Amino acid sequence: MSLDHIVTVTIGGLTVGMIYALVALGYTMVYGVLEFINFAHGEVFTVGGYVAAFTLFALGVSDQMSTVAIIGSLLLALVLSMAVPAALGLLVERVAYRPLRGRSRIMPLLSAIGVSIVLQQLIIIVFGPTPITMPTLGISSASVSILGARIRVLALVIITVSVVLMAGLTYLVKATRIGKAMRATSQDMEAAEMMGIETNQTIAFTFVVGSALAGIGGLLVIMYYGSLKFDAGFLYGLKAFTAAVLGGIGNIPGAVVGALVLGLTETYGVSMDLGFLAWFVVAGLLMGLYVQLVLAPKKRLQHISDDRRTPGYERSIANIYRLAPYLAVRTLVVERTDALRSVSARHAVRLMLGNLFLVVTAAVLFANGSSRIDTRWQPVIAFVVLMVILMFRPSGILGKHITEKV
Amino acid sequence: MGNVLELQGMSMSFGGLKAVDNLSFSVRENEILSIIGPNGSGKTTTFNVISGLYEPDSGDILLQGESVAGLRPDQVHERGISRTFQSLRLFGNMTVLDNVLVGMHTRTKAGVVAAMLRLPSVRREEAAAKAKAQEVLAMFPGRFSGPRQSDPAFSLSYANRRRLEIARALASEPALLLLDEPVAGMNPMESREVMEQIKELRSRGYTILMIEHDMKVVEGVSDRVIAMDHGVKIAEGSYQEVATNHLVVEAYLGKRGAGTAS
Ligand SMILES: Nc1ncnc2c1ncn2[C@@H]1O[C@H](COP(=O)(O)OP(=O)(O)O)[C@@H](O)[C@H]1O
Ligand SMILES: [Mg+2]
Repeated sequence: MSLDHIVTVTIGGLTVGMIYALVALGYTMVYGVLEFINFAHGEVFTVGGYVAAFTLFALGVSDQMSTVAIIGSLLLALVLSMAVPAALGLLVERVAYRPLRGRSRIMPLLSAIGVSIVLQQLIIIVFGPTPITMPTLGISSASVSILGARIRVLALVIITVSVVLMAGLTYLVKATRIGKAMRATSQDMEAAEMMGIETNQTIAFTFVVGSALAGIGGLLVIMYYGSLKFDAGFLYGLKAFTAAVLGGIGNIPGAVVGALVLGLTETYGVSMDLGFLAWFVVAGLLMGLYVQLVLAPKKRLQHISDDRRTPGYERSIANIYRLAPYLAVRTLVVERTDALRSVSARHAVRLMLGNLFLVVTAAVLFANGSSRIDTRWQPVIAFVVLMVILMFRPSGILGKHITEKV
Repeated sequence: MGNVLELQGMSMSFGGLKAVDNLSFSVRENEILSIIGPNGSGKTTTFNVISGLYEPDSGDILLQGESVAGLRPDQVHERGISRTFQSLRLFGNMTVLDNVLVGMHTRTKAGVVAAMLRLPSVRREEAAAKAKAQEVLAMFPGRFSGPRQSDPAFSLSYANRRRLEIARALASEPALLLLDEPVAGMNPMESREVMEQIKELRSRGYTILMIEHDMKVVEGVSDRVIAMDHGVKIAEGSYQEVATNHLVVEAYLGKRGAGTAS
């Protein structure tokens, strides 16, 4: 893989990752406050894209217009693709979710799925079933050269806009009065209420912010890919939801991290030849071995209480953690020392099997060195990564937002 | 007037259980009124109804002569009733300072747009709120100094979390402060310290309604005491009067006799 290829793929991955992030934030913020998954969120994203494209068409934007007029139209599209989804999010919350709050958890979930279907149908009714397209503009195809790679200007715009929005959101949540109210509400709604926070308003605001971000996501997608279908929100919503879970649902920075991991994995997964991928596996294996051979025994040794600190005991523990399952088993069978009560042979066996698996994977990948994974496998790769990460970190990369009631 | 709070025949039941039954009492300006009573006698429920968490089945609640019954909790808070919780309910993932700032929510008003634009008015309000929060935290000397204010609330010691709840409740300068077992779980030294602080609050002009099990604290700080049992007020008066009242003695003894004392 050459440098320009790496740059192309990385920026491509960051671009889709950022779009996933914009949508994922809405899922995770709503979950943080209501512990409820707003399945209609994907459609809000689609509406953002449709509104943007419709606005630009209505204004008759084309390259014949002056630069100022084009920028002005784009800004108007930006504002509308935030405002309309925000209003929609507000309405959906008010009409479909709030009346069901406090009921059994399945009811708002069903309501959300219903809203999602209704919104898709409304998009078809208003705009028709054919995909809506962007007016062709020069900037859509403009590109620059970075480290020998040709990068679309729009990709850079998407990354920049997203970073700015996320910085703004962080500031909003961390530092402002309403942000503190949001955090308080998400941790203990009743207590927040008794401390003077109007929680209904705060929840509504959460929907507004999440929907506006998703709306911008829709605008960016339609600018980047040129067209959007009425059911696009399903796949984007699913990916973004996956990203939110991956990062730790309810956790705002987690949504961004999860989305970037997902975006990069998808893009790298289908653009690397397998021989290159194998090196990643080898790197992972080496890192894992370092942890198992050096760090884990060290840590384990620190935890031995003083009265059991005999050299033989320490050695057996260190050995067991040096990936010697047979030693573990032998000690278990033959010596039956206390050592094995505090060290699990099963754990050692599991580590051993894990390493074997990685070695075999690397070997297979090396053997198929020059072939590539078909692009159609992209969602499968994303799903596998999700499963693997959640297997090792069930609460997501950055951990779930746990409502600690102290 | 002189009455900050007036409960008039307030009743509250859960299903068939009458948790509070026709309860009337008033809290006078700048006094400390304590509620005692065996576990399950309806004390916390009384607080929950006053704070607007539940709407009373009947009766009225007057704050400085105006009814607050049926208002939402945030509206009650805005009118001037703030509280602490028997089982602590801080915002664990938020910093010490932010917890107090949340307590000032109804006393600040920066809107979203203004806050995002960092308008001078917002900056002034934020600075004033922060200064006020620090002033409140300074009421607990040495407990929340300097860098500790940016620690998350869950990392504090138990006693400090109790103190922080009081600070959060004080941040809005409430006309009435409700303290639900403020020294529960504290050691004798810590409870003596909190007791002094409660008295200090009275000398600063606060009016306090307090639920407490620790009789030393009740005796030490209360101007008047109310005893409840099974949701009913069974005695009212000075600590001496209530503590020696035969109904009160029986309520506690009866519970003990039945083996259900706390
Ligand atoms: N939300 C509720 N739902 C049902 N029962 C409740 C609720 N809150 C309190 N109770 C009941 O009301 C009675 C009084 O409880 P409480 O006010 O907490 O007593 P105290 O604070 O005096 O120990 C208890 O029997 C309790 O189980
Ligand atoms: Mg209680």
